[in-house]
Amino acid sequence: MRLILTSLFFICLFGCNKSQTEDVINFDEEASQESGGTLTNAMIGEPNNLIAMIAGDGASSAIAGQIFNSLLKYDENLEFEGDLAESWEVSKDYKTIKFNLKTQKKWSDEQPITCKDVLFTWKAVTHPDTRTPYGSDYQLVSSAECVNDYQFIAKYNEPYAPALETWASLHILPEHLLKNEDINNTYFSLNPVGSNYFALDSWVTGQQLKLKANPNAIHGKPLIENKVSRIIPDLSSQFMELIAGNIDLMSINPIQYSRVFPNRSELNNKINLYKEMGNGYTYFGFNLNKKPFDDINIRKAISYAIDRQEIIDGVLLGLGEEITSPYKPGTYWENKNIKKLSFNPQKAKELLEKSGYRLNNNIYEKDGIPLSFEILTNQNKQREMTAVLIQRRLQDIGIDVSIRVIEWASFVNRFIKTGEFQAVVLGWSLSLDPDQYSIWHSSQQGPGQFNFIGYSNKRVDDLLEKGRRELNKEKRKAIYDEFSAILYEDQPIVYLYAGYGLSAIHKKIKGVKKLSPPAGIYHNDYEWFVPTKFRRNEMSL
Amino acid sequence: MKKIIKNPLALAGLIIILLIAILALFASHLSPYDPNYIDIQSILVSPNKQHIMGTDALGRDVFSRMLHGAQISLLVGIVAVGISTLIGIVLGSIAGFYRGITDTLIMRLVDVMLSIPSFFLILAVIAFLTPSIWNIMIVIGLTSWMGVTRLVRAEFLSLKERDFILAAETIGASDLRIILTHLLPNSLGPIIVSTVLGVASAVLIESGLSFLGLGVQAPTASWGNILTDGKEYIQFAWWLSLFPGLAILITVLGYNLLGEGLRDNFDQNT
Repeated sequence: MRLILTSLFFICLFGCNKSQTEDVINFDEEASQESGGTLTNAMIGEPNNLIAMIAGDGASSAIAGQIFNSLLKYDENLEFEGDLAESWEVSKDYKTIKFNLKTQKKWSDEQPITCKDVLFTWKAVTHPDTRTPYGSDYQLVSSAECVNDYQFIAKYNEPYAPALETWASLHILPEHLLKNEDINNTYFSLNPVGSNYFALDSWVTGQQLKLKANPNAIHGKPLIENKVSRIIPDLSSQFMELIAGNIDLMSINPIQYSRVFPNRSELNNKINLYKEMGNGYTYFGFNLNKKPFDDINIRKAISYAIDRQEIIDGVLLGLGEEITSPYKPGTYWENKNIKKLSFNPQKAKELLEKSGYRLNNNIYEKDGIPLSFEILTNQNKQREMTAVLIQRRLQDIGIDVSIRVIEWASFVNRFIKTGEFQAVVLGWSLSLDPDQYSIWHSSQQGPGQFNFIGYSNKRVDDLLEKGRRELNKEKRKAIYDEFSAILYEDQPIVYLYAGYGLSAIHKKIKGVKKLSPPAGIYHNDYEWFVPTKFRRNEMSL
Repeated sequence: MKKIIKNPLALAGLIIILLIAILALFASHLSPYDPNYIDIQSILVSPNKQHIMGTDALGRDVFSRMLHGAQISLLVGIVAVGISTLIGIVLGSIAGFYRGITDTLIMRLVDVMLSIPSFFLILAVIAFLTPSIWNIMIVIGLTSWMGVTRLVRAEFLSLKERDFILAAETIGASDLRIILTHLLPNSLGPIIVSTVLGVASAVLIESGLSFLGLGVQAPTASWGNILTDGKEYIQFAWWLSLFPGLAILITVLGYNLLGEGLRDNFDQNT
């Protein structure tokens, strides 16, 4: 009886949510642009500080990016365009950048935006007391000044190629509200005043943040009136909320994309799916300071023993691509001439034997020490499954591997920062500039820095330094092509895959571009709108 | 034993436990597949003739993984409770037999341990250790001996006032002899009950830890692991949540039924 009751309960759990309203509405109908309405999305984590330079986490920057502007931004083809700046000039020697700001623009509290705010922000981000991980980029500016209220000049001691990108990622803060405040610890970080499309309306801790359209927005008011970000820390719950129509968009996983949606037509009637190349890649990394990973043959052997296509098919259901350079596939900076190592267990064994390893009881060993190590990864299902597939393949050729899955904070603090790991399955998100100094330069190996695998190669150091000083696009491309090639030859990490970003967006939201531009599906979200006929009664908190 | 057979609930519990134990013991013979065999051609296949409980996100056979998971669950349950019972008996005997300052010290230690919510204590300890099945057993064992200690002490306190203990003391029997041959055998009833109930809670704790990713590590199967894998696909691959959930439910139910039955039985005796 108990069994039957339980089964009934489960059947109801899976079946009962189908029969609700909404099915009668045809969301495919075209509609003309109109403003108003609410867009609801979900966040895994809660922002902790809306001053992005202090916060440093994804949830905070996602919200802060809708409230603040930078001097520059990327257009839909990933070229620079003015944000707060009307125009900009880079001097011939590449050492001076002059920004002409837009005039007559206001903060959401009606105060004018001037060069003083930009200068204040630069001083704040470079001040030694400011606790920001992003200071070093701006410390390269040797002097900065305001010529008048609307002209800002930044001077560098030597050319710095990623300079424009750094000015596209620094949120300009209002001086008049912050000049007497401690930026590390100010109420402003929870109650910001910005200049971008939205302004913070209300924030219920642990539940949701509500943004409302900013009438003073420097690029004009957006069509959507309210944006609600609900905090739902669990992805499966988020997905149920999406299906129930309580959130309008979210990123989904490959199983949801290619198994759940195709089988449920009622979902396809109200939700559109989008697929675009993601902005990052997943890799298998070695701790190069530990034996046996200092031996290039071992690294190559492991690379040959891993079947990347199998991982893409099994973990991503084919929704990903193999990569050979640390850049987004299909972009200008990708080195397309690198010949990829393909799955070849025989070759892997030969390389192990070349390094003096011999099989004993199906496990390779050298000087009596078996070839065995532990793969660490964080609590991310895709990475865990990837680790299991790698473990199986390495076991096949005679390497004994165990897996350990750890929660993110202790993963970073106890293992990555201390260097106490052997191998990891992790990912890098990529910035748009090809500079990867902080990940690969040998000087970046301190605790908390990004070159935690301990990679050091003289030539790569030279190239990375040169690449930062080179502003000619073709010459820069040649530098980073060589860098990518050396990296692939050295195999300090095994590139596993670059996965597609998969988004589900409710059909009632109009204005989403069918073919997403290089800058991504969310690029034009200020043009999105919800036609009145599709708006529902909205609960307020 | 006869009493158990007469008590239908306890009997049901016993049968469930025996059944699961047999399934666990013969897991490698009964499993149609290697529990870790990955087949990316058949990811998340719903239950059918080839895979009676379907497959998981890596195409592994859920039924085979459930059987091997049963081994883990039972092993953890039994070893962890073995450890805690042993500690409980030793400390409880000392406290109950010698009384005085020893008793006070041990019982205050029990109070301190009981004041910390045990699941969070286990979580904290496990987070610092390498999660492995052996560590889990030891940690669960080391954090759940307080109940047995109290039981044994209470039994000893009352038994020590009885005449047969006085008699044993008079003829000059050593402390150890009195404890082992007179006191312990007479306190066995409550100890067995708490052991059986303890297994149920250890199985639950192990599943909980594995569900949170702090238990048995991939790719080893445990019910908690399978359940947490299934959580992500719950609207779609119901079999990944249903079967391990039911298995945990039924096992814990079995131990609880047997434990309760035994308790009724012993209560009638006294």
